[in-house]
Amino acid sequence: MAAVIEQGSQPTKAEFHSAIARRSDRWFAACLRITRDPDLAEDAVQDALLSAWNKRDQFESSSRLETWIHRIAINAALQLLRKNRPERFEALDFEVADESGTPQEIHAESELVAGLREPLQKLTDIERACFVLKHLEQWRIREIAAELSTSEGTVKQALFRAVRRLRVSMADLRSNSNE
Amino acid sequence: MNDNTLTLYYYNDGLTAGERRQVESELESNPALAARYDELRRQLDELSTVDDPVAPPHLVARWHDLIDRAAERETVVALPSQKSFHFGSFFWGAAIAASLAVGVAIGVFISGEETVPVEPYAGVIEQPASEMPTAFSRGLLVHFRDSRDRLSELDADANGERDQLILNIIQQNRLFERIAKQNDSPDLARVLRAFEPILVRLSAEDISPEEAARLQSQLAFEINIVLTKLARQVSDNTDAIDT
Repeated sequence: MAAVIEQGSQPTKAEFHSAIARRSDRWFAACLRITRDPDLAEDAVQDALLSAWNKRDQFESSSRLETWIHRIAINAALQLLRKNRPERFEALDFEVADESGTPQEIHAESELVAGLREPLQKLTDIERACFVLKHLEQWRIREIAAELSTSEGTVKQALFRAVRRLRVSMADLRSNSNE
Repeated sequence: MNDNTLTLYYYNDGLTAGERRQVESELESNPALAARYDELRRQLDELSTVDDPVAPPHLVARWHDLIDRAAERETVVALPSQKSFHFGSFFWGAAIAASLAVGVAIGVFISGEETVPVEPYAGVIEQPASEMPTAFSRGLLVHFRDSRDRLSELDADANGERDQLILNIIQQNRLFERIAKQNDSPDLARVLRAFEPILVRLSAEDISPEEAARLQSQLAFEINIVLTKLARQVSDNTDAIDT
């Protein structure tokens, strides 16, 4: 049963439980794609749930509870990413990505589907965030720019670079599998 | 026309209506460009095929539990609005009820043997708590002492300062919680996690100075219990080394 909230009422505890049962995998997955760190993804979902619960009187009943929490979780993941790796997240000069990764990151990547794992690993934090938010979460470019406190032009450049890198990686993967 | 423009066209974002019409016109008249765009679209579509990693069952159980505890705390806070309100009864009733979530977890931590049932959300793997390394215990001891002292020194109406302090405590708690989990001490990890809803409530914008003061007292009380346990554990370990 989808957590559709009755008009004029705030979501109940049961509706939160229903949303968690139905969609927490997706919240966790979205946060993991952004952070590449299972602990940060876990924290982001927890922060989002607490925030959503404490502000549930602000929930607009015309939307879906799970979608609202999803959005809050992504914001929380971005906040945690900026807090924990500010030097990498703020590196908007498109340096070559460090491909080594921490053990946690490598473990987290193993959770992603094989076809996307390798290419995504080669992106910088800002490139990956812009790509995930645009391509997988369908945010508008202006929304991404506002959330990341940067310009639309910067988001576009990060997105272009991510797409270019991903296409090259995919072409390499395809040629390797054909050999 | 470069691939960046085609990328924005694919996403239907970032181009003006005029620029979109221009792209459409060129795609119709230029087969080579159309072929390039088809290849771009195919690759981007392929990147949309993502299998969601599944959240571990113990995390899902924890999130359910989090909402239950947050709801329990609100029930306690809502009590003063009842008509037949008696302050003395309320204070002690609220203190006991508000302590329940943390208190149960702390009790488990102190016993070191029993487990906290997370009903009805089964799936949490329970393990007996093992002895934590002394260095970790000492670090935790310092953290809790520091948190207790700083909380007690804080003005109940100092919202900004309180928020920053609580944020720092939560971050430290999470670090210690991870180390506890890595050292096979799930009960201690649960105790640390159990503090979080209270801390978050303490940082809420709508909290009254009276409630903030009460929560600060409650936290100090709970932290003292944990400190007693930790101090004993550190002392025991030191004795064992000395002998």
